[in-house]
Amino acid sequence: MKLLLGGILLGVGFAAFPFVTQRNDLLNLGVQIFLAVALAQSWNLLGGYAGQITLGHAAFFGLGALVTRILWIGGAPLFLALAAGALVATAFGLLIGMPAFRLRGAYFSIGTLALAEILRITVGNLMPEISTIPAAALASYNILPRYYLTLLLAVLCVAVVALLVGSRVGLGIRAVREDEAAAEASGVGALKHKLLALMVSTALVGFTGGAFAYYHVSYYPQHAFSPAWTFDALLIAFVGGVGTIHGPVLGALFYVIFKEVLAVQWVDLHLLIFGVLFILVVLFFPGGLVEAWSRARRLITRRSA
Amino acid sequence: MILTQQLILGLLVGGLYGLAAAGLSLTFGVLRVLNVAHGEFLMLGGYGAFWLFSLWQIDPFVSLLGVGPAMFVVGLLLYWILFQFVVKADEETRIKNSLLIGFGLTLVLHTLAIRFWTADERAVTTAYAGAVMRIGVFAVPLVRLSSLVLAFAVLMALHLFLTKARWGRAIRATAEDWQAAALMGIPVGTTYLVAFALGSALAGIAGALVSVSYSISPSIGMEWTLKALIVVVLAGLGSLFGSFAGGIVLGLAEATSVTLLGGPYREVVGLVLFLVILLLRPQGLFGGRG
Amino acid sequence: MLEVENLEVSYGALMALHGVSLTIQPQEVVAVVGPNGAGKSTLLKAIAGLLRARRGTIRWAGHRIDGQPPEHVLERGIALVPEGRRLFARMTVRENLELGAFTQPAQKGRQAQLERVYSIFPRLSEREHQVAGLLSGGEQQMLAVARALMGHPTLLILDEPSLGLAPRFVESLFSVLAELKRDGMSFMIVDQNVHMALQLAQRAYILEGGRIVREGEAQRMLHDDHVRAAYLGPLARGTS
Repeated sequence: MKLLLGGILLGVGFAAFPFVTQRNDLLNLGVQIFLAVALAQSWNLLGGYAGQITLGHAAFFGLGALVTRILWIGGAPLFLALAAGALVATAFGLLIGMPAFRLRGAYFSIGTLALAEILRITVGNLMPEISTIPAAALASYNILPRYYLTLLLAVLCVAVVALLVGSRVGLGIRAVREDEAAAEASGVGALKHKLLALMVSTALVGFTGGAFAYYHVSYYPQHAFSPAWTFDALLIAFVGGVGTIHGPVLGALFYVIFKEVLAVQWVDLHLLIFGVLFILVVLFFPGGLVEAWSRARRLITRRSA
Repeated sequence: MILTQQLILGLLVGGLYGLAAAGLSLTFGVLRVLNVAHGEFLMLGGYGAFWLFSLWQIDPFVSLLGVGPAMFVVGLLLYWILFQFVVKADEETRIKNSLLIGFGLTLVLHTLAIRFWTADERAVTTAYAGAVMRIGVFAVPLVRLSSLVLAFAVLMALHLFLTKARWGRAIRATAEDWQAAALMGIPVGTTYLVAFALGSALAGIAGALVSVSYSISPSIGMEWTLKALIVVVLAGLGSLFGSFAGGIVLGLAEATSVTLLGGPYREVVGLVLFLVILLLRPQGLFGGRG
Repeated sequence: MLEVENLEVSYGALMALHGVSLTIQPQEVVAVVGPNGAGKSTLLKAIAGLLRARRGTIRWAGHRIDGQPPEHVLERGIALVPEGRRLFARMTVRENLELGAFTQPAQKGRQAQLERVYSIFPRLSEREHQVAGLLSGGEQQMLAVARALMGHPTLLILDEPSLGLAPRFVESLFSVLAELKRDGMSFMIVDQNVHMALQLAQRAYILEGGRIVREGEAQRMLHDDHVRAAYLGPLARGTS
């Protein structure tokens, strides 16, 4: 269980980090990483393990963000706002799940994209003004609770997905990815499993959206529905290693760090690089960084043997 | 009446929707590849026309003669570098991979466009840009009308190519049954290449027309890809003029919704229509094929 | 002359042909018979260039054609009429025929070949501008054969030409083939109507489970006990 150990070490390391330094920029970086992990891992469950390539991930992220933001700024306690955000996202997922899963393959993907766009435009029209944390809260804004909340979120996502995937239900979910017809024929209720994956995925990303709403000082509500979030999730999951537990974590680390390092030169250069990497991974290297890493290790051990 | 004026404008933009869809339809019909970067090709064509006009004052309608072939070459290159690997897999994998690849390509092209040309909106404003033809109390912007006519003419030319020319027929044959086409001595890889490049050229021409009739920016890519997808799902595959008609239907539907719900919801109507059709015809694109 | 040596073809992990060897002499008609799933279509597709062999060689007039794409095989003079005809259903009869002459060498003699084909299959010239999908089964088969002829082949390979055809169409089809045989064309024919195939052919091979289990003169096979029992018995006689 080297992975588990590594994960625990990583988690503990990140938890201890604020005791080592109080630098805001580094803590912010941490939050970015944790959000990225959560975003990608929640997508990974539905897209990687269940094989349903959804392009509407941002819809649920946005819903979680919207509900949480409104409630929290409105005075509700944070955990309630977060719970409500996740709940609304999940409810919406359940609502669209049945009709959405009637669509196969590419149509499901484009359909979910269309759905997310509908939400984005509608929210943009209904709430065009920027949402800003009120002055009082702004004055007492502290990065630390955000840091730990998002860290908890990231750990939660990894743990939930890992446990689900390793369970008997998870086996069914993966069977659906491999061959839906065969799974159905051998008694695995394909729709049930897809809906379950969808529900957990939307709950997690709804929570992520809520965390985002808690973290960001000001943003346009429709921004949280932007397809850029979906794309980020896909990029990170695929480049890291889609369909694995540690892939999205690795991918998130790389993605955010790359973004930081390259931002000086050319703001979106990281997108360009990840876009190219993504294409290469899809075509030639489906295992992503995870596979590259294990291949490299095998090469090294073979050489030294 | 506001509605009629809107409908006229909707008709005019619908022709461009149809042109954009035709390129996507061609690529998908022949290669079974869903190039979701199609809108980015359109965007590139638009910038091509814009720069030709800004730098060398080449009239946008004339620049089509340059933009079309240029985007054809871009399509050739992208097929050679990228999509030729996608077509090696079976159909289902092809569609899934092309979706993903297309989205990766979208990101790359979008980011490059922002880097080189900034995120600002651009438009080609010629001397005659404001010219308008009056029909009673209604105004028909001449530039948009010319774009519609040109879009139709391009589709006409393509139709002639596909029905009369040796390679055009080869493309149609490959779209129907690539193995049988191969047995006729048709080099399937080459037809794929040509079809893909043609799709790219069509997108580029549509983009050039968009730059002069409306405006362009790096973000229009996704918007137009979705428009093209909506029309393809509306009209089914297999007929260029079907795509054209479908585009006009979309344009008119948007115009109607703008009158009822206001401008900001223009996009939504198309997307909702799209979802409704997808749900009613879950076989989606395949259902249109005979 | 066609020489197939030790051909091995597999679909992924599934081996379909286990070292098949056969020959077809110039102006010869060879039949390949066998049960369903024996690998007959696989063999024909491999020769035509649609499938790649894992091992073995295919030689035509001394040159190796295994691994070549279908357009090269066609240019060398081998045309395949595929199982199920695979016409371009949405195109007209004439368009289908003209596509048959797609390759450069075939383009030159296209008009002449078209007329020749119309004289062999007058029905098709009557239906010249009709959409192929609307033709009857027999007419479609005629069109499929005619289309292959447009490529000026020296060797014509037919995969299950009598499939789904009414008996009188089968007879007229085979009489056309006999006529073409007299004009000097070589044939390789795979058909469930074993009786007619063996009557048309000079030699025959029996393919079972991806292996050639017997070969010999067609006439002799017609009277062979094993063949009669397996393929020519009252239940296996097909449509004749």
